[in-house]
Amino acid sequence: MTPNISELIAALPESGDESKATEAAALPAALAKTSLRPIPIGRLSRLTTLGTLQAKIGAAYLFHWLRGWFRNAEANERNLAETHWQTALRLLDSMSYLRGAVMKAGQTLANFPDIAPQQFVDTLQQLHAEAPPMHWSLLSEMVRNELGDDPENVFAEFDKQAFAAASLGQVHRARLKTGEEVAVKIQYPGIARAIQSDFRNFFLFLLPSKLNRDWEYLKDQFNDLRQRLEQETDYELEAANLAKARALFRDADGIAIPRVFPQYSTARVLTMELLDGLHITPFMERGPTQEERNEVARKMMRAWYRMMYSGRMFYADFHPGNFLVLDDGRLGVVDFGFIMMLDDDEWERYRRFDRAQTTGRPEDRVAVVKEWSEIGDNETDRLRVLDEYAQWCWLSRYDGGDFDFGDEADFRLGVDLFMEMIRKRYTRSRPNTPTISRCQFGWRSVFYQLKAKFDIRSIAEEEIKATDWDRSDYA
Amino acid sequence: MRITAEKKAATRERILDVATELFRSNGYDATTTRDIAVAAEIATGTLFNYFSTKEAIVGALADAAVVRARVEQANIAAESLEEALFAMIVAELRQFKPHRKFIAPLLETWLCPIAESVDSNGGNLSRVEHLEMVDSLAREHGLGELAPVALQLYWTLYTGVLAFWAADKSPKQEDTLALLDESMAMFAGWLRSEQSESK
Repeated sequence: MTPNISELIAALPESGDESKATEAAALPAALAKTSLRPIPIGRLSRLTTLGTLQAKIGAAYLFHWLRGWFRNAEANERNLAETHWQTALRLLDSMSYLRGAVMKAGQTLANFPDIAPQQFVDTLQQLHAEAPPMHWSLLSEMVRNELGDDPENVFAEFDKQAFAAASLGQVHRARLKTGEEVAVKIQYPGIARAIQSDFRNFFLFLLPSKLNRDWEYLKDQFNDLRQRLEQETDYELEAANLAKARALFRDADGIAIPRVFPQYSTARVLTMELLDGLHITPFMERGPTQEERNEVARKMMRAWYRMMYSGRMFYADFHPGNFLVLDDGRLGVVDFGFIMMLDDDEWERYRRFDRAQTTGRPEDRVAVVKEWSEIGDNETDRLRVLDEYAQWCWLSRYDGGDFDFGDEADFRLGVDLFMEMIRKRYTRSRPNTPTISRCQFGWRSVFYQLKAKFDIRSIAEEEIKATDWDRSDYA
Repeated sequence: MRITAEKKAATRERILDVATELFRSNGYDATTTRDIAVAAEIATGTLFNYFSTKEAIVGALADAAVVRARVEQANIAAESLEEALFAMIVAELRQFKPHRKFIAPLLETWLCPIAESVDSNGGNLSRVEHLEMVDSLAREHGLGELAPVALQLYWTLYTGVLAFWAADKSPKQEDTLALLDESMAMFAGWLRSEQSESK
């Protein structure tokens, strides 16, 4: 039985409830019911071991985010919406590929063992170890379709066992006939078009629940996420992003971005140089010194700012799985499926952000916050919360000096402000705000995990200086 | 004059070759048995000694494709029944590929789930052989001998995938791969649930 929306809403943490942990832990259990199906279908248990769990937690966030719209609604309105939402939820539950996209938020949470409920952390950690969904016969058929021959013939060696689950497929180690070690990312067939039609339906079901003005903004934000998800299915675009990003770095930077092998890449298969190294968790298990950890964090930040300022590429997918500490000390950055390219308009907006971040003047910040979230003069509480959140985000940048990202109290402050925004439904904002917030929390979470202490401002200034950016109007 | 077995086999091969060519260039519907006989340089009456209908010719082409598919499939070590079935059908599809455009008439005749008697010159062989293969794969993967209902269910799924494939407009027919994968997983999942229920 699918639980009805009232039950789901009831299972969500109460507004203003500070002891969220227990209710939040009960939430996945309530959502787990949605995946009970009349027929035990092997495919579902296989493809969705990763998928449904993550999608469920994704759904949990979704409902957490949306529940406010229902609290004060009329009973009949609520019932009507409930029917649609039930369908939407079922659909969401079946959209297993969301494991990659929506659930990076979940991965982010898993980085905060002190903050996220233990059940969340346990569940999410299991997800990384799950077997990927494509069996060998399907996989080799995909390779045959895309590259014209069996994987064993195209490559000198091809590991049948996937070593990572990509957001919309899986990654295998292989060796080219010319000797290079590569990572081959292969997409599940038909997923790109499935996303388009699923989201179309999803919107259709959600549409009737339009209850107030902010809903429109939320819809635009979902739409933005859909577009990004669609971009993630375009491996040709990812290859182009990789090439563009790679060109921005020099050997001296100590930052490695994998080279693409175009002759072994298509829209569905992406063959890249294999970077060998440690992810953040195993790196931390080795007990690195403070300085080693700071250095890793500095390189991450430098990579991010370089792409942003020199490449106008917003690397949105800032989570620990996308970084590797290589054996030679370099930092590897992988996964370029989720990049926002900034057009001139967007760039102008970031310039105003940069100005506020650079001057650190409260009035500059308030002006940017008001513009970004379209805050009217009489919305004092909205402005207060959003401004406090902006302050939290930017403090490390405009303050300069070594900032302690391992400070739990400071991190909690950010989480609380974010939760307050959600609770109060202050979602009116630009469509790409969820992407930007996710990135912001992404890098804070990675630095928190690294317990890094370093100066962000000097890195940003160096990177900006390297471009011929005119900032004379900042004074 | 005696017609040797070799000569007969050669004529049969020739009919199949020219039929493939004609179907491909003129389309299945526009090709008549007369056209085929003319192209094969035999009398129309003689053609009927080999194949009683045009569908039977397509059926024989499918049989030949299935035989080639089995050879290709022989060295695949599948980890599950769904993978084994997937590998078997995908190998067939690869062989059927030149005939994809005229698979539809086959679906209406010898592949049809409700077809009872099938021309012994074509079709029946692939169907029986195919189902025997499914049965033996099921046993190999510990799912026992298949009941008639299971075989019928399987055949419905299989022909459904073929019908979808015949009209699949997705790039490189990738949607068929997804559907096939889902269908076989569903069938194997159902078999397993049946088995655990009967225990």
